[in-house]
Amino acid sequence: MESPLTDAPTDTRTISVTVNGTRWQGEVEVRKTLADFLREDGGFTGVHVGCEHGVCGACSVLMDGEVVRSCILFAVQADGHEITTVEGLGNEDELSPLQQAFVDHHALQCGFCTPGMLLAAVDLLKHCPDPSEAQVREALSGNLCMCTGYAGIIRAVRAAAPRMKG
Amino acid sequence: MEASSTQWKGRAVPLREDLRFSTGRGTYIDDMKFPDTLHVALLRSVHAHARIREVDISEALAMPGVVCGLTGEDAARMSEPLRSLIPIPVQLDAYCLAYGKVTHVGEPVAAILATSRYLAEDALEKIRVEYEPLPAAVDPEAAMEPDAPLLFESMGTNVMWQDRFDYGDVDEAFGRAARVLKKRFYIQRYSSTALETFGCTAVYDDRREQLTIWSNDQRPGQAMPIVAHSLGLTHSRIRFVTPDVGGGFGNKRKAHYLIIAALLSRLSGGKPVHYLEDRRENLMALIHACNGVMDLEAALDEDGHILGLKVRDIADEGANVLNPTVHSILKLGNLTNCYRIPVVRYEVNSVMTNKCPSGANRGIGKPFMCLAMERMMDHLGRELDMDPIELRRRNLVPPEAMPYTGPSGALIDSGDFAGTLDKLLPLIDYQEFLREQQEARAQGRYIGIGIAIGLEPSTSNASAYMLSSGRRSASGAAEAAMVRVEHDGSILVLLGDVGSGQGHETAAAQIVADELGVAMDGVRVSPFFDSLVTPWLYATGNYSNKFAGTDVGAILGAARKVRDKLLELAAYLLEEPLDNLELAEGCVRARNRHVHRKTLAELAFVAYRDLLSLPPDMEPGLEGRFYYRPDIANVPDENRRVRNQLFASNAAHGVIVEVDPGTGGVTILKYGVVHDCGTVLNPSIVEGLVQGATAHGIGAALFEEFDYDAEGNLKATTFVDYLKPTAVEIPDVRMDHLVTPSPYTPLGMKGVGEGGAIPAPAAICNAVENALAPLGCTFDHLPLTPERVWTEIEKARASK
Amino acid sequence: MKPPRFRYHTPRSLSEALDLLRESPGDARVLAGGQSLVPLLNLRLAYPDVLVDLNQVEGLSHIRDEGGRLSIGAMTRQREAEFSELLAQRCPLLIEALAQVGHPAIRNRGTIGGSLAHADPVAELPCVMTALDAELVATGPGGQRVIAAGEFFLAPYETALSPGEILVEVRVPSAPTAVAASFMEFSRRHGDFALAEAAAVLEGDGTLTGARVVAAGPAWTPSRLEQVEQLVAASGVGRTDSAAQRDLVEAAGRAAEDAVAALPSHADATPYQRRLAAVLVKRAVAQALERWSRH
Repeated sequence: MESPLTDAPTDTRTISVTVNGTRWQGEVEVRKTLADFLREDGGFTGVHVGCEHGVCGACSVLMDGEVVRSCILFAVQADGHEITTVEGLGNEDELSPLQQAFVDHHALQCGFCTPGMLLAAVDLLKHCPDPSEAQVREALSGNLCMCTGYAGIIRAVRAAAPRMKG
Repeated sequence: MEASSTQWKGRAVPLREDLRFSTGRGTYIDDMKFPDTLHVALLRSVHAHARIREVDISEALAMPGVVCGLTGEDAARMSEPLRSLIPIPVQLDAYCLAYGKVTHVGEPVAAILATSRYLAEDALEKIRVEYEPLPAAVDPEAAMEPDAPLLFESMGTNVMWQDRFDYGDVDEAFGRAARVLKKRFYIQRYSSTALETFGCTAVYDDRREQLTIWSNDQRPGQAMPIVAHSLGLTHSRIRFVTPDVGGGFGNKRKAHYLIIAALLSRLSGGKPVHYLEDRRENLMALIHACNGVMDLEAALDEDGHILGLKVRDIADEGANVLNPTVHSILKLGNLTNCYRIPVVRYEVNSVMTNKCPSGANRGIGKPFMCLAMERMMDHLGRELDMDPIELRRRNLVPPEAMPYTGPSGALIDSGDFAGTLDKLLPLIDYQEFLREQQEARAQGRYIGIGIAIGLEPSTSNASAYMLSSGRRSASGAAEAAMVRVEHDGSILVLLGDVGSGQGHETAAAQIVADELGVAMDGVRVSPFFDSLVTPWLYATGNYSNKFAGTDVGAILGAARKVRDKLLELAAYLLEEPLDNLELAEGCVRARNRHVHRKTLAELAFVAYRDLLSLPPDMEPGLEGRFYYRPDIANVPDENRRVRNQLFASNAAHGVIVEVDPGTGGVTILKYGVVHDCGTVLNPSIVEGLVQGATAHGIGAALFEEFDYDAEGNLKATTFVDYLKPTAVEIPDVRMDHLVTPSPYTPLGMKGVGEGGAIPAPAAICNAVENALAPLGCTFDHLPLTPERVWTEIEKARASK
Repeated sequence: MKPPRFRYHTPRSLSEALDLLRESPGDARVLAGGQSLVPLLNLRLAYPDVLVDLNQVEGLSHIRDEGGRLSIGAMTRQREAEFSELLAQRCPLLIEALAQVGHPAIRNRGTIGGSLAHADPVAELPCVMTALDAELVATGPGGQRVIAAGEFFLAPYETALSPGEILVEVRVPSAPTAVAASFMEFSRRHGDFALAEAAAVLEGDGTLTGARVVAAGPAWTPSRLEQVEQLVAASGVGRTDSAAQRDLVEAAGRAAEDAVAALPSHADATPYQRRLAAVLVKRAVAQALERWSRH
């Protein structure tokens, strides 16, 4: 099959997106995914692209505080919204409690799933400040990790929970 | 000289790479940005087997943003065929793009270079390919038949390698056996599927005759020579850099893509050319572990001792022309697992089919060998009416027999297999389980236990491939490292094996900090391999679980060179005898008078700047390079016995499952692993790798399968169809350790990355069978999907 | 894996959206949460000419108590419904099913209407809306019409919506006679589309007087199992009569096997999937009874 519009002129929009507190304005092709926009136009390379079909969770970001998959959202759909990427959670000098727990519990190996895991965990702890192990597992089941077998991740999220309150 | 202090080694120090990764500041291949980068999209075969009549890319070249393109014909004109990674029995001409013929679905047929990946993919739709479809060889046993469709007509067969190894008088052993049991086992195609896909950026500067490749290829030592050969470049004109690697597990290498990117860069006048697999391409065409068929025949005496073993293995290599026979060769290392089986016949069939090329995948062949052997032990237990744990105990190689050489020449350097098993049973509350099982059965519930023990040989010895190729080529095992005290006294470590999540930056720093008497903070380990500065050799890379076997030796060797020089320089400057000096607290100091000292910064100042203060015959600088080669590697002897891998860890797995007879669903209730990888450098790393590898084994046992239909179409090409287990399916593994140091590695360490993946499929299959023992169900195929389990339950119920 | 080109519109009102659908040349598709459509675009398995994004259309996102029924706007995010106190009180079955739709990141974007209009034969919402006897409200060039859930799903990925129509609302009747309900699904992994699923809504007072029982998976569409429903209705089982309840569960399981076998099934359906659906029906009935008796 072939796109009927392959030879058509490109449909673009000017959008304005707040990423980690800073407003970004840019012209994007309407078909550009939010993941590609954040990575290529914004330089937020902590947004990892693992499957591009909405399964692996590596590209997870927060949109208006809620975790979403940026590979199956178009950048144009984020117009006027607030995005948080892993870069917005903390940095090496000032880790968020969740990031610190990930380091303390060796909740990662290759690090590719980590940003998405962290953001999915932020979403979980917002709704469920004191999750059981089963709740953590369920909430993170949309994020694949190929390295760790998840044990360290689960421990880290539970350990961080009390420190994330308030 | 004093022995190394052990201030950092052995401690669960937090991993420094974790800090970088948990803030999203890793630099993976797709994060490297170069101005004016162009993007590649590949058109891939929709046929499993077809002749290519014509490839017309002219319309595609006229599309917006398109810079240039390549067909197989172009590739054959501009490059040489890919040289295989290992010497193979027959040399076959394969180019970076299919030329003349496609041999599997997903094989790259043409490449388009455009200003964005979006535009490149648009242009792919304008390529016209005329195929002449051919019948496909899909089933490996059928592919061995004389009338099977041939992947390579020049071979006259699809059987790449067929051989028989008689290690001892097998017929004699079977002749005096009290009992003989024969069983057939199957394994499916699966893959570890690192979360980051494979990719590269190439800059081919024709004027300066310099090719630079950035790639997450986990084996740059092999990739460089292949690329050099295909492009007709000397190694000295190629620079190869690896960034952070988002998981590897053996899969991450495919020189085809590096060559395509290099050719396109050349065609575009030296622009940076980026190619990154998308997930569908990754699942269709990177690497699958071989599927296989194995017939196992065991001869036993009256008391359950195994007298001899016959192994007939068929490894379905798919369209692998670069390193077929790997799966067959590596099984030599665990052919008899942890058991003292004196004689073995090993019949090898390495068969080509019209499927994705097979290749390295966590454990390579060993998971299947272990699956068959450990499933066989349970079958034998039933046959003899003997507790399968007791049967295992009777056959284990005892600790006093170490180091033990198995019939194939495989070396087990150390281990206490009975000790590992002893620790496992309480870990999974074995006695309590037996009671629970009785109660459960009375209630009509099906819970079961499965035990599997697995040898985990690591550090491949390249000379083993002489067995399949019949000729001498690469041999031995090795890695290279550099340690340098910089001008300011800081310490830099470069390692050929940069790792893909194994914590090398931390582990290497622990070793070097102890060796040079400094705090870990003072040691930086480069996360990147760069062939311009990193010492490397053919064996360089991240594979075969070799950190303990070769990398540690290279790091230590390099550190000790620097250490010796620091001591020598300090002795001269402090006017102290060498044997009264020690390295501690960032200084070289007199043992009896700590204030009599020189800091590393002071010594470096002399070594790099105040050169006339150096001893007259001393070379300036404080740099040590070391190429470490374990001396126990050998070449095959006259009986074709060889140490194909060099150091053996081992693990005992115990799993308790519940089977829901209504749905066929299998739930893991408890999972225990006792692992022995010798001396532990960093417990956090070891536990992470064991848990993670076990998850891979669970995936293979219950979820993952690359199934092909009869025409050779792959049925799982997305993560919707190829099921990786999630946090809900993978249990928290209870873990315990035994420490049996290797007598042959510098620190007594042994490999740790595969020990979870090797026994897990067998343990789970044994557990499901044990749960369904009242019905008498047996399983010879994985994964144990609910449908497969339910079908066996229904069959068993119908036959009762 | 990048989507093909398309034209993109963000109407602010329903009438604007309907105009765009009508006037767009070629294949115009509605974009709701995008959790199914965008993957298909990325994989280049769908090539719409035009996407009409409903995310900025006013008035399509709400959960309201409208006396005799609950009204849910089609663009209500699944996650919002999952956390709705009104639904928790009035329609816990829906919450139970929603919690099994994909993962939080999917539900944060995915909409109630989007899932229904996509009509995956094993999606949770079509099954549960059929069991709840919901009404689906569509607006199109010819005005508004109301379609019963049982008549909305025609085949896998095929609904009663006409080209140019947009699903705008779901109405869930308040059933004062419903005493307990259960939703059961079985999937390979948590969050996957199910291999099969079942929903049961029991009605009665002190004794059972009726039921709505739905199975999905092997069949073309989520389907009411009338034989099972009649069996439950005729049973007259009381709330505390545990022996009779056990018998009813067994009988329902047997009836479900026949009923599922009689459903028109799709080409990929296996004997396993049919049996699985029957097993889940039995378990859903059992769980609903158990919930009822615990009241």
